[in-house]
Amino acid sequence: MKRAMVLALVAGIAAVLAASAVARPTATTGTDAQQAVSCKSQLKIAIVTPLTGGAGFLGNAQLSWAKYAVKRLAPGLGLKVQLLTGDTPVEQGPAPAQALAQKYVADQKVVAVIGPATSGAAAATSQTYFAAGMAHISPSATRTSLTKGTPREGTPGFFRVVPGDFIQGPTDARFMVDKLNAKKVVIIDFQEPYSVGLADAAEVVLKARNVQVIRLSTSVRTTDFSSLVTRTPSDADIVFFPTQQPPDAQTFGQQLIEQGKRAKVFGGDGANSPAQFKLPGAYVSNFAPDISGIAGTKSLIDGWKRDNPGDELESFGPPTYGAVQVALRAIKAACVANKNVLPNRRAVLRKVKQVRIPNWILGGTFRFSTKSNDPLNAKFYIFQIQPNGTYKLVG
Amino acid sequence: MDTFIQLTINGFTLGSVYALIALGYSLVYGILKLLNFAHGDVFMVGSFIGFGALQLLGGSTAPKVPTWLLLVLITLAAMAGCALLGVAIERFAYRPLRNAPRIAPLISALGVSFFLAYSMQLMFGSEQRDYDAFSLSGGALFFNGFDIGNVRVPLLRIVIVASAFALMIVLWLLVTRTRMGKAMRATSYDREAASMMGIDVDRVIVFAFVLGSALAGAAGVMFALRAPTDVAIGFLAGLKGFTAAVIGGIGSIPGAMAGGLILGFAEAFTQGYISTRWSDLLVFVILIVFMLFRPQGLFGKPDIKKV
Amino acid sequence: MPAASATAGPRIGQDEWVARSAERRGGRGGRWGVLEARLRVVPWWAWLILFVAVVAALPIGFESGYVRRVAFDTVIFMLLALGLNVVVGWGGLLDLGFVAFYGVGAYTYAVLSADRYDLHLPIFVSIPAAAVVGGIVGLLVGLPSRRLVGDYLAIVTLFFFQIFLTVSNNSESILGENVAGGPNGILNVQPLSLFGRELPVSHEGIFNVAYLYVALAFFVVVFVALRFVNASRTGRAWRSLREDALAAELMGMPVNWLKLTAFAFGAGVAALTGTLVTALNGSVFPQTFEFPLLITVYTMVILGGAGSQAGVVIGAIGISVLLEALREPGDSRFLFYALVLLGLAGTLKLSRKLALVLGGTLVLGFAAHALAGAIDGSWTAGAAQGGGRLGEWANEWVVVPGDIAGWVTPVAYIGLVSAVLTLTLLRGRTRLFLLVPTLYLAAFVWENVMLARPEPTRFVVLGAILIGVMVARPEGVLGEKRVEIV
Repeated sequence: MKRAMVLALVAGIAAVLAASAVARPTATTGTDAQQAVSCKSQLKIAIVTPLTGGAGFLGNAQLSWAKYAVKRLAPGLGLKVQLLTGDTPVEQGPAPAQALAQKYVADQKVVAVIGPATSGAAAATSQTYFAAGMAHISPSATRTSLTKGTPREGTPGFFRVVPGDFIQGPTDARFMVDKLNAKKVVIIDFQEPYSVGLADAAEVVLKARNVQVIRLSTSVRTTDFSSLVTRTPSDADIVFFPTQQPPDAQTFGQQLIEQGKRAKVFGGDGANSPAQFKLPGAYVSNFAPDISGIAGTKSLIDGWKRDNPGDELESFGPPTYGAVQVALRAIKAACVANKNVLPNRRAVLRKVKQVRIPNWILGGTFRFSTKSNDPLNAKFYIFQIQPNGTYKLVG
Repeated sequence: MDTFIQLTINGFTLGSVYALIALGYSLVYGILKLLNFAHGDVFMVGSFIGFGALQLLGGSTAPKVPTWLLLVLITLAAMAGCALLGVAIERFAYRPLRNAPRIAPLISALGVSFFLAYSMQLMFGSEQRDYDAFSLSGGALFFNGFDIGNVRVPLLRIVIVASAFALMIVLWLLVTRTRMGKAMRATSYDREAASMMGIDVDRVIVFAFVLGSALAGAAGVMFALRAPTDVAIGFLAGLKGFTAAVIGGIGSIPGAMAGGLILGFAEAFTQGYISTRWSDLLVFVILIVFMLFRPQGLFGKPDIKKV
Repeated sequence: MPAASATAGPRIGQDEWVARSAERRGGRGGRWGVLEARLRVVPWWAWLILFVAVVAALPIGFESGYVRRVAFDTVIFMLLALGLNVVVGWGGLLDLGFVAFYGVGAYTYAVLSADRYDLHLPIFVSIPAAAVVGGIVGLLVGLPSRRLVGDYLAIVTLFFFQIFLTVSNNSESILGENVAGGPNGILNVQPLSLFGRELPVSHEGIFNVAYLYVALAFFVVVFVALRFVNASRTGRAWRSLREDALAAELMGMPVNWLKLTAFAFGAGVAALTGTLVTALNGSVFPQTFEFPLLITVYTMVILGGAGSQAGVVIGAIGISVLLEALREPGDSRFLFYALVLLGLAGTLKLSRKLALVLGGTLVLGFAAHALAGAIDGSWTAGAAQGGGRLGEWANEWVVVPGDIAGWVTPVAYIGLVSAVLTLTLLRGRTRLFLLVPTLYLAAFVWENVMLARPEPTRFVVLGAILIGVMVARPEGVLGEKRVEIV
């Protein structure tokens, strides 16, 4: 054993010495020299979203709208753009996102990233992207700490085109108090970042308004909520249920009825799915009104429907269209400013914040806030599910 | 008091499903001394087969046959499909390893579990599938039933508990009253001696898998009637079933039933009175406690290792 | 040569039993046996140096940051496989909580080095500390192994894994705010710093290859250390424990202590690996340490051969490359066809049968494609994923419908699995006959189903490898054949 240890020690020292010899800052580390890219050549943008796994429906919706946006917008701006797809299934944590970040950073032709779609992936990869000067514009990563507060998980390279949880939670909470006169609210989280963040944000506002809050928690894998329902007091008014799986919201609502509780279910944007969550009387919040109600979007929607026959219009897709639009405009602005040659990705990154889009797909004019990389004056919308299953805007 | 009654009902419902899964584990472990990790995924496949059958028969909003017949048909479909699956798993993943070191079939079982779960995801995606029993007969299963005090016991739960018990009784009769059942018990005591007495051990093992998997399939349908199913539920469900089997005494049929109910009650009451956060962990704690301090469970006999 | 010594008569001064030992160990005859015997003469450290040299030279040939990062990840997997090999291969214990030790090491390092806690201990303290913490935790987890064997022990380790997952995901509510970050993890972990100089994790976002060398250094140290441990008394005791625990106990081996040390060593290696990954990523998230990762490492160890360090390293490289290739349709298609061809050549050898099967499959393919196109144009209208020359060829040969009906996928997949299983039951000419449509069906399923959904495909492949290896060749590539003494 002693000889073994001595030899191991020697080997270790030798190895470490070798490593530190190599680790001088002057060592070449591969393609760190950024090469200029001509705006006339084919540029690439990558979309990073969960295409398979539990959140696959979200990713595929985003992908279809991203493809549509590239097809529709790039020619008009005089750009040839190829869309790369990166899959980050939520079940595998941040690892796929980190691998994809390396991949896209290494590819010189990739000048912007749409996403990451999930807040966890964004937190894990923002440093990498920012160090490479790559703008990453997310249509759905809503965690507050990505753009605000300390410790801040997002870098100045991270942008989002939808409002964060710091708006959704309080908006929902205020609606509950003001419009629904809730006095007793049950808040449930699923022990993962999205729901915990939303639940915390809502709880703060509710408590400040003297609403009695009961906080429950369960695993994200639970599908039978009988015991949660049993713990819901009979006199609770609302159950805030920020799930990312709409059928769970439906089941929970049905089990509430089954056990004779009068509380109404209130879901977040993750529960938004008229096909799966259709419990009459329940509420859902979302960062976009149904865009078919916005003036001027008809031709847009028709075009998308032609490309995607049989698909339903839902809420995660249109913000992706918007994100691509922001990215393409930033690329164009960088091209114009640099005589049709992009010196590096940072040129694009610098132009993102200044993008302004009238006739924004989600209504109104889009601008970034000056204080953070969030949209200016973005709001959340509240819907109530009607007896026939449609969502009606109520707040 | 109402909460107590409600939780008892929850416990019964949960427990019946766990008992069915536990029986499958017990049957296989009794004979092969193998922890069939894939059993939980067979349960999951059963819930999907039931869903598929439900869709074929028109779906829960426009079924082509009366509700009771619908339920019977989808349960039978799930049981048959899972039995077939169980036979295939035994034949190709476990039989070749009958004489290998004990770690080998365990690893193979892990592989099967993984393979099943992700194959289902490959074929069907990972979205949840909702039976939507709520819509059957316009909600009849939910709104009919009887009342205990202020608490309503919906028809659906009664149906589930009753069918589970019926299946368990059928199984018990099969094991105690038929020749095949006797052969199974003999094989579980001593495999070599049984084969020397003329029992076809291979057939017995296949039979055990058929029974166990069929029960798992039925459990899958019963579970999915109340909560959406997806490809990931198998693992945890299997673990809970195994815990139930250990509590009752692995290898013992009345033990599996009792264990399932006990686990169901424990889970319901813990979630109801203490916290919902730790329910997954609770299952493990109970399991570990039993394994360390009373490995033979409540109804089993201590396992004396012969040298 | 084993064959020769079997027929030669007894020799003076030679112990017959010793001389026949190669035969008993299952050495191969023929050309492969000669090659194997020759290679076996090369000392292990020569292989190690050669291997390290090749890996160290990789960055010269491959400048892409992505490829280098993949190389780093592979080295990490190699380390994990070495650690698991100690517990499963040498100790014979089924440890299903292995990934939790990896997580413990990662979290410990993060706590000792993140901005949040402002401890910033030097790496000469924090890395060994993490490894020691991991080892201690491994010891604790191993304690129940005194009373439990086999499957029951597996469950206990799984329990521990579950505890780790629950605690790490819920740490905000258990341990209080900001202790371990909860589901959001810990960010802003400092990178490694050697002798006062910080090693940046990336240059302009691109992976800093110095970390590859650090990982390699870790690997060398761990490999050598473990090898010496295995060659020592403890290693021999582990072998006896693995072969027959009861006999070992009767011979006076401290069986419990041995099990505990196996756990502790394995856990320590895993924890050590965790520190390195955390330093590179600058963060740690609880979602990284999930069950699929456990199965991945297990597949590497089983495929490579539990009990053989070189084997598990090869297994790790193979699986890691496979998984990475599966991300990209073009690469994975190439890999698929290459592996199928190799498999066929391996089982059928270069014979007429092979030519017949390949020819038959090609003909069947083109015929089916033409037929499908004739019946309905949309049946062949789809484009094979990923493109490339191989993709275009696949487009001509495989039926790739433009729009797949929902029922086609499950039917085709289940059909393929059933066909493959049936093949294992058949022999002779029927088998060859069935092989042809099965191969075509496999190509069909691959192109249309698996390439479209790479994520479940990776795990389906892993599961299939696990089952296949256990059933067909439980000792893996380089492991030793074990016989259960009943």
